[in-house]
Amino acid sequence: MENLNLSIRQGEFVSLLGPSGCGKTTTLRMLAGLEFPTSGEILIGGRVVNDLPPGERDIAMVFQSYALYPHMTVERNIAYPLKKRGASKSEIVEKVSRVAEMLQLTPLLARKPRELSGGQQQRVALGRALVRDPKVFLLDEPLSNLDAKLRGYMRAELIELHAKLGRTMVYVTHDQLEAMTMSDRIAIMYGGVLQQFAPPQEVYREPANRFVAGFIGTPSMNLVDGTLRQDGGRWIFQADGLEIFADMLDDSAVSGPACLGLRPEEITLGSGPLAGVVQLVEQTGHENIVVVRIGQSLRLTGRASGNQVWRMGETIPLSVNAEAAHYFADGPTGRRLNAPRRATSFRNLQSVL
Amino acid sequence: MMRRTVFNICAWIVILIVAFPLFWMVVTSLKPQSELFSRPPTFLPATLTLEHYAKLLWETNFLSYFRNSIILSVMTTVVVVGVATLGAFSLVRFKFRGRETLAFLVLFTYLLPSVVLILPLYLMLVRLGLSNTIFSLVIAYTTFALPYALWLLRSFMAGIPEDIESAALVDGASRMEAFRDVILPQLLPGIISTALFTFILSWNEYLYALVLVNSDDTRPLTTGVMNMLISSFNIEWSLLMAASVMMSVPLIIAFAFLQSYLTRGFGAGGVKG
Amino acid sequence: MTTLSQASSVSMRAEQTRLERRYAHLGLLLIAPTVLIFSAVIVYPLISAIYMSLFSIFTPTLEGKWVGVDNYVQLLSASEFWWSLLNNLIWTVGTLTLQIVFGIGMALVLHQNIWFRSLARSLILFPYFISTVVAVLVWKWLFNDLYGILNHLMMSAGLIDMPIDYLGDMPNAMISVILVGAWKYFPFVVIAVLARLQSIPDQLYEAAKIDGAGAVARFFDVTLPQLREVLVVIVMLRAIWDFKEFDLIFLLTGGGPIISTQTLPLMVYKEAFALNQLGMASAYAVVMMAIMLFFMIVYIRKTREKSA
Repeated sequence: MENLNLSIRQGEFVSLLGPSGCGKTTTLRMLAGLEFPTSGEILIGGRVVNDLPPGERDIAMVFQSYALYPHMTVERNIAYPLKKRGASKSEIVEKVSRVAEMLQLTPLLARKPRELSGGQQQRVALGRALVRDPKVFLLDEPLSNLDAKLRGYMRAELIELHAKLGRTMVYVTHDQLEAMTMSDRIAIMYGGVLQQFAPPQEVYREPANRFVAGFIGTPSMNLVDGTLRQDGGRWIFQADGLEIFADMLDDSAVSGPACLGLRPEEITLGSGPLAGVVQLVEQTGHENIVVVRIGQSLRLTGRASGNQVWRMGETIPLSVNAEAAHYFADGPTGRRLNAPRRATSFRNLQSVL
Repeated sequence: MMRRTVFNICAWIVILIVAFPLFWMVVTSLKPQSELFSRPPTFLPATLTLEHYAKLLWETNFLSYFRNSIILSVMTTVVVVGVATLGAFSLVRFKFRGRETLAFLVLFTYLLPSVVLILPLYLMLVRLGLSNTIFSLVIAYTTFALPYALWLLRSFMAGIPEDIESAALVDGASRMEAFRDVILPQLLPGIISTALFTFILSWNEYLYALVLVNSDDTRPLTTGVMNMLISSFNIEWSLLMAASVMMSVPLIIAFAFLQSYLTRGFGAGGVKG
Repeated sequence: MTTLSQASSVSMRAEQTRLERRYAHLGLLLIAPTVLIFSAVIVYPLISAIYMSLFSIFTPTLEGKWVGVDNYVQLLSASEFWWSLLNNLIWTVGTLTLQIVFGIGMALVLHQNIWFRSLARSLILFPYFISTVVAVLVWKWLFNDLYGILNHLMMSAGLIDMPIDYLGDMPNAMISVILVGAWKYFPFVVIAVLARLQSIPDQLYEAAKIDGAGAVARFFDVTLPQLREVLVVIVMLRAIWDFKEFDLIFLLTGGGPIISTQTLPLMVYKEAFALNQLGMASAYAVVMMAIMLFFMIVYIRKTREKSA
């Protein structure tokens, strides 16, 4: 991991998002003091904590594996951090029962972790973190071991919890849905490098580079490799079967290989000047995800309403919203070449929130 | 169904043949001396007697050997398991220069033959004036027991999820507190298993005892009982068999109550690496 | 304000934080007793064994005289060394083969659902855990030429006419030693193989059954390939341990008749404490270790691969 520079505001909910092995968990563990940066400083609440052991950093952490102490009851698990801080007996009893009440763990206090379901274990892990009221909560993929339904439920719980406590939370996940729905800001990492750090809407609307563009959004953004050239003062992007005016490029754009990014919703199916062959239709109920082929090999994914029925192999007309197109420099993390569009309003909106 | 029965019977015949020497040991120890030499031999004693056990306990040095063996094995086990538990914690969960080399050295010494070490150790212990003491045997037994225990505990330790220790650190424990509060309780089955193996290894050791100790006050069971065979003019087999049975008592206890720990140690040992 | 910054530092040297250093110190402190004991009772003796092999030392007085590599020259030209090495190889190969074959067989049997399985397992395991001294005493009694049950059974079965001297004649002595060794140590193979057998997924057998493989074909096509890896490790480990076996052979035959069952470890003992040549004995020990080193390195490599 290299050259990471993140500043998180107090009370903020920040997600570290990225594919596995991108360094997000390592980052979190460095914050916790479980791993060590080769250089640089870590500050929590304005205090350099590099030399502080994890227990003195005023943080609490929820682990992906929950890391409950198998030989202790739920009660002793939750009480452990208090005990290590020398809390009095009555204080421990009071705080543990309050947290247990909040997380509906009261009837389970006498059980051992192995006698609990995954969801219950997860709540105990959360309880152990909550009982202490630390400055920062670190959560390492806390929901990834739960089934889909429970995950949705716990997501809502966590959002509520964050609103209630107003504490800083750093949340590691590889699930963009979790990151988008829960976070104030998302830090997207890839290959140990921070790619973008911005609010969810901004990450979606103004991806900083090609990696972010492809990583955020389902179905993911269409990324078309082609070339940029200048013709009579206008930029033109050309790829197999497609040629569009690339306006709004910023000054850093140069002729040569580049990449065009189009969100599926920016492709209108059923009308327009282009023609494509339907390759695949995925029905999700309220909408259909349609893959069409244009020219020899260019494939684009678009969205259509659920009652719009096309058969595979059918040729349909379509159009592309060139104004909403993104352009990226060559390479897996090639930076965005077009100036921010509609972006200012969003940024303002976010800071008002 | 028929085939299963035949298979079972054949299997049990083989198992009983393997176990026969042990059966014969017990039977012989319970027969009166005269019955040993009857032709044909009786497979179950015609008359049961405990006279050999009585003789063994009251008329020979057996009890003194037994006491020496207990002291020796307990001391070795306590020292070795104590040192190895801390060592394994360090080898698995800490980063420092030379850690890999050390792990390699442990494995290497685990395979080292005793006869290579025994000569210099003999020389060393004689010069230190420690020869003929139980303490010298504890030192010598450490040479094979410590690498063995370290190797076992290392793989037990590696089986404990690191997250649990991390969680304890975040919760405010120091490294040693995390070790005491969280790791040690998890490691306990492994420690019991290792202690059991170390004890058995020390209990059964022969070569070092043969070379380093030659007085009846300090002899452990292995060389002591062997001496009873060599020194007696006419060999009393039932007495020797009674001694063999008595010598195996700790093992029988371990088998009866702690067998799961024995098999666990097997898994963690050399075979699984 | 929570900040995580990792600006690249100017110096390339990776500097440890104080916390990291403190952890490293604690790690060293915890391993220190181990290192001290290792140095005192293993590393130092190992080095001095090599050093001692360059002296001629009279055991009772421990007085030594530098002789350089004379011990080695003498040793390599002594026929007794080569005989001991040959015996050592015969013993190792013989007993190891029996242990492996019998061990796998018994593991397969115990893997089945036989009657009183846990009792059977205990009975099989027991020889491995009893003291060699006990094993030897029992077998000596079984082997006894006049009153031993073995001779009696074989005579009444009509296999032999005269009582056999199991330990005092050749090749009987070597065969007996090998058999007792196999009996004592095959349970190790049983347990190790059994543990591996229990981890072979049932689907593999079901797939083979569907493909029409019989019991024998299933053993060779499914079981054996699955066991291969663990078997290599077992063979290496047992080869090392059998090669250095002292107690069992020493107690059963003492190397006799004459030197027919004398292996290198016995030779070391004899040189040191019967012939009182401590230096020469060290030379034997060093040579023996050199031979074993090959197996040890192969074994260590194997386990490294697996953990890596």
